[in-house]
Amino acid sequence: MNFEFTKEELALREELREFMKKESTPEMLKETEDMGDIYGGPEGRKIIKKLAAKGWLTPTWPEEYGGIGASEVASYMIREEMGYHGLPFGFIGAHMAGPTIIRFGNEEMKKEWLPRIASGEVEMALGYTEPQAGSDLVALNLRAEDKGDHFLLNGNKLFNTSCHIADCHWLACRTDFEAKKHKGISMMIVDLDSPGITISPMVTMAGWQTNEVVYEDVRVPKDRLVGEKNKGFYYLMAALDFERMFPLGRYRRIFDEIVEFTKETIVDGKPLSKDPLIRQKLAQQAIEIEATMLLYYQLAHILDKGGIPNYQSSMEKTFATETAQRISNLGMDILGLYGQLKEDSKWAKVKGKVEKYYRTSVVETIYAGTSEIQRNIIAQRGLMLPR
Amino acid sequence: MDYDFTEEQELLKNSAKGFLSKECQPLFVREMEEDAKGITPELWQKMAELGWMGLMFPEECGGIAGSYLDLMVLLIEMGYSCLPGPFMSTVVLGGTTIMEAASEDKKQELLTGIAEGKIFVTLALVEEGASYSAERIALKAEQSNGDFLLNGTKLFVPDAHLANYIICVARTKDGENKKDGITLFLVDAKSEGVEIASLSTFAADKLSEIVFNKVKVSKENILGELNKGWPIMEKVLQQAAIAKCAEMIGGGQRALELVIEQVTEREQFGQKVGSFQAVQHHCANILTYLETSKLMTYEAAWRISEGLSCEREVAMTKAWVSDSCRSLLALAHQSVGGTGFMEEHDLQLYFRRVKAAGVYFGDSDCHREALAEAMGL
Repeated sequence: MNFEFTKEELALREELREFMKKESTPEMLKETEDMGDIYGGPEGRKIIKKLAAKGWLTPTWPEEYGGIGASEVASYMIREEMGYHGLPFGFIGAHMAGPTIIRFGNEEMKKEWLPRIASGEVEMALGYTEPQAGSDLVALNLRAEDKGDHFLLNGNKLFNTSCHIADCHWLACRTDFEAKKHKGISMMIVDLDSPGITISPMVTMAGWQTNEVVYEDVRVPKDRLVGEKNKGFYYLMAALDFERMFPLGRYRRIFDEIVEFTKETIVDGKPLSKDPLIRQKLAQQAIEIEATMLLYYQLAHILDKGGIPNYQSSMEKTFATETAQRISNLGMDILGLYGQLKEDSKWAKVKGKVEKYYRTSVVETIYAGTSEIQRNIIAQRGLMLPR
Repeated sequence: MDYDFTEEQELLKNSAKGFLSKECQPLFVREMEEDAKGITPELWQKMAELGWMGLMFPEECGGIAGSYLDLMVLLIEMGYSCLPGPFMSTVVLGGTTIMEAASEDKKQELLTGIAEGKIFVTLALVEEGASYSAERIALKAEQSNGDFLLNGTKLFVPDAHLANYIICVARTKDGENKKDGITLFLVDAKSEGVEIASLSTFAADKLSEIVFNKVKVSKENILGELNKGWPIMEKVLQQAAIAKCAEMIGGGQRALELVIEQVTEREQFGQKVGSFQAVQHHCANILTYLETSKLMTYEAAWRISEGLSCEREVAMTKAWVSDSCRSLLALAHQSVGGTGFMEEHDLQLYFRRVKAAGVYFGDSDCHREALAEAMGL
């Protein structure tokens, strides 16, 4: 056993931290927060392209496509650090579409898309959820009719975050209308500025935007089909096994800031951090963060060994997101009446950030598979309980 | 990073599992709960022959110079089987203290004796204050004609009824700094003035009250240096706390298996109970408690093994594992239902033990406080 980073990984972390310190701008930090940590905004694109040029966006990819042959542990560490330091860390191209193209795409698709994703030039938006297909993803219904030289797409997507700032839609659609539900799904890459696509904003309680996307007779060339027709659901599930994870970095950062606040805040002549109850709560949170980090890097370790994380990724995602909610809630509790003050108030504490995290954290246990779906997976795949 | 056991550790784990599944069945565990000694000489001797007592001791003291991680592997299996007897007291508390503090001669004699299964040692630390902190050590050792006289009462001393030697943690100086002025005395359990009275406990741990009434100990029997015993105790307690965590995760593993057996067999409403989402979510939570507990324990044990600083990790781990394994057992009972409430079902063995284990070597609150201190709060 060994629970420490290697010298190379530590050196990489140092270099990355230096980079982020140098390149981060207030505008980029604000944009990232305002958009909910996703990639694609103008400020984010500036810094991420520089970061990608070092191979850090897709460090584990083959070198010919823009990787640097790094370990998965290194790759997980980079994402954790990016989150901690306020960079966008939710990438669809680099983390979901790219790996699927590497595994299942043909040579042409690899050549066309991987370098552009790895350089940060192209970002995609996840196109899975529909009004009737949330947790029950196989119920997705956006129709893609085979018209010989192209597909013709019609239907609705909902909660498709990133569509308003990304370049392409990483789209799951139905290509066989007779087959069993999961056997008629295909994956495609669609330009989001294609004629017939209407993107309407849906504003979340966290302030950032997700989208409703309507497809009306949208033509998609055949070479945008990923892998084989009707095998999309299999690709999608495989991708989830490989990529399902939640870096806690953003919430780890706010936790550290809350800790600092308790040290600096004097109540009745003593720092708040000397209050026995506060100490218990902060310590408990630090423990849960440690457990999350162990679960998180375990996924990387499994991948580095050549394995595929199974129920472990569901466990990490659930544990991490529930920890994120507890961190935010604890922050609000500690701030008390001040917790409600927004960042523009002169009385705001911790820069008014805590209430934002408190609002955002609500969705963490819902999107990318609810905690309930994850617990089903843990029970059925981790413990082989009957479906 | 590497989350896996070595090949040797896998072998050790499997051989321990095989051995205990034969030698330490639930019926035997129940017998030993009622037994005054709580162990049979036959089993203890077999364990000694397997090299378990001397696992961590140096080769010249009859040991096999294994690591603390190796010990953890073994303790997990002991927890899995609810192994009764004085392994924790003699090997982890006694053996570690001797390794850390005793002179070479004493190490040779005592560790060899422990490794051969011939000597039992325990640690008398806790007093009426029921805490493992230096502030609560009041039992006095006063110099008298070149010897020391021990006066006071120790409580919750494990396996004192078997012990040949008692390591008594005594106060030899009372100043501002309570961590200073503590001395470790190796006391022959048969010394005049030592009175051992057993305490009846809910998890069948064999604990005792020991009254030291003017017990004479020569200064040759000080382990380590006069007044400087506490730093050694801190180290021993760290190792003991994680050892207890290892036992708890072993027990948690078995509890999970008992749950899965029940919910995949029993049917209600025409379906396996384990197919209901309410039950599945209990099971998922059990597995999450267990796996996080394992990972925390592995990390802390690894740091101890490597001689790295481990204050934070020990505090985090003992707090997390104590709470999680307790919650795990509560969910296990809820999932198994009425059957698990019966004495004859094994789940209750673990339910009792895990609660007791939670308070040994510091409960979660006290470890969270230690962590808060380490975090600079």
